[in-house]
Amino acid sequence: MAAYVHPEVLVSTAWVADHLSDPQVRIVESDEDRALYVQGHIPGAVEIDWMTDLQDPTCRDYIDRAAFEKLCAERGISNDTTVVFYGDKNNWWACYAFWVFKLYGHHSCRIMDGGRKKWELDGRAWSTDRVDYPRTHYTASEQDGSIRALRDEVLKHQKVGKQLLDVRSPEEYRGERMHMPDYPNEGAVRGGHIPGAHNVPWPMNCSDDGTFKSAKELEKLYIKELKMKRRSPTIAYCRIGERSSLTWFVLKYLLGFGNVKNYDGSWLEWGNCVRVPIAKGAEPGGAVTASAAAASIAPSA
Amino acid sequence: MTSVTARLDGIIDEFTDLDSREKLQLLVDFANGLPPLPPDYAARKAADNGRVHECQTPVFLWTEAEGGGARLIAEVAPEAPTVKGFVAILAEAINGRPVAEVAAISDDMLERMGLADVLGMLRARGLRAIVARVKRGFAALPAD
Repeated sequence: MAAYVHPEVLVSTAWVADHLSDPQVRIVESDEDRALYVQGHIPGAVEIDWMTDLQDPTCRDYIDRAAFEKLCAERGISNDTTVVFYGDKNNWWACYAFWVFKLYGHHSCRIMDGGRKKWELDGRAWSTDRVDYPRTHYTASEQDGSIRALRDEVLKHQKVGKQLLDVRSPEEYRGERMHMPDYPNEGAVRGGHIPGAHNVPWPMNCSDDGTFKSAKELEKLYIKELKMKRRSPTIAYCRIGERSSLTWFVLKYLLGFGNVKNYDGSWLEWGNCVRVPIAKGAEPGGAVTASAAAASIAPSA
Repeated sequence: MTSVTARLDGIIDEFTDLDSREKLQLLVDFANGLPPLPPDYAARKAADNGRVHECQTPVFLWTEAEGGGARLIAEVAPEAPTVKGFVAILAEAINGRPVAEVAAISDDMLERMGLADVLGMLRARGLRAIVARVKRGFAALPAD
C-alpha cells in the first residue's frame, strides 16, 4: 500500500491530546473565522491569524523577518519548538501558516490531520481559557525562495509549459465567476486561469472528516490522472495563495514532489496584470487570449 | 421604540471599548443568540432561495416585511460565528422597525465597532457585502 512520502509532518488528534502539556510543543490554531478560536480552542493552543498576524498591513507581502521573530517570541515559540498547526476548513489556513513558518525556516512544523473538524468528531474538549506563554527569543532565517514563486518566475514557468496547478473552484478556473451583480469586484479585473494550469479544486485533497486523503487516492488524482511528475518543477496558485498552500503541502510532503512552490500573488495578481496570457474555459490550454505584444514582456532574466 | 440606527448605535457602543478578544467574544454571544431558522424556510433553503453567494460560508438571508415591519430571517453555518454574529446584530437592529429605516444603516459600522482591524480587510469586505445585500433586499420590497 502506498504511504505518504514524509508522514512525519502529520500528527493525529490523539497525538496532540497526548502532548497538550509538552513544553517542546506549541499548538497553533489558524482559521478562516477568527471567532472560532475564541469560541473554543484546543487547550493551550495559541492563535495565529493569517491576515492580521502574517500579512504586512501596508505592502502586499508577508510580515518581514523581524516581525516574524517578534510574533514567534510573543507566542512562546522558540527555534527548537515543534509547532503543530490546525484549524477550520480542512486545515486550509493551518497549511497557510505552516507555509509561512517554512518560508522563514522554522524547522519542526506539523499539521494536525483533520483539524478542528476531526477534534470535534472525536468528541475532544474545547477550551475558552486565555493562553499566554513566557516570551521567547526567536531568530528567523531569510525567506526561503524555494517554496515561494513570484510573478516573473510564474511567467517564465508558464511560458515553457512546466507544471501548474489551479486549485480554485471550476467556476473560477473557467473564468465564469468574478463577482456578483451590485457588489464591489473583490478580485481581479479578468477571469480565467493561467494557460497550461490543471484544475484540481483544493477540497479534493481531503476526506469528509477533514483528514487528508490516502497516498493512494492522492497519487491517483495527481500522478495517474493528470500525469504530473514528482521531479518536475511545479507551481500551485489560487486566488490569494491560501487554498494553494494546502495543495503545496500535499504535493511536497504527502506525495514527495521535489520542487513545488506556492504562487501567493495568485489570481488577485495575475488577473490584474497587464498583458499576461489568460485561458478561458475548462481546458488547461483553453482559448488563450493575450495580445501579440505579450510575447515581448517575458522577463529577461 | 427606537430607530434601526439608534438600536445599532447602542450595539456599536457595546463593542467600542473592548479589546480584540472581547470583541470576538461578543460576536460569538450574538451568534449564539441568532434564532434557528423557522421550519417553513427549510424548504426554501433547500431550493437555494436566499443563498448569499458572495460568502464563502453558507449564508441564507430573507428580507421581508410583516405588518409594515421589517423582518430579517437568516441561517448561518455554526462554523462561521463571525458572520453569524454579525447577521444576528443586523437582525436585532432591524426586526420590527419600518422597512424604510434599513436604508439608513451606515456603511462605517465595522470601523466604529473596531471590527475592521480585528478581522482584517478581506473579512471586513465580506461583512460589508452582507450589509449591502440586506439593504438592497429591503429596498426592493414593494412600498406599502
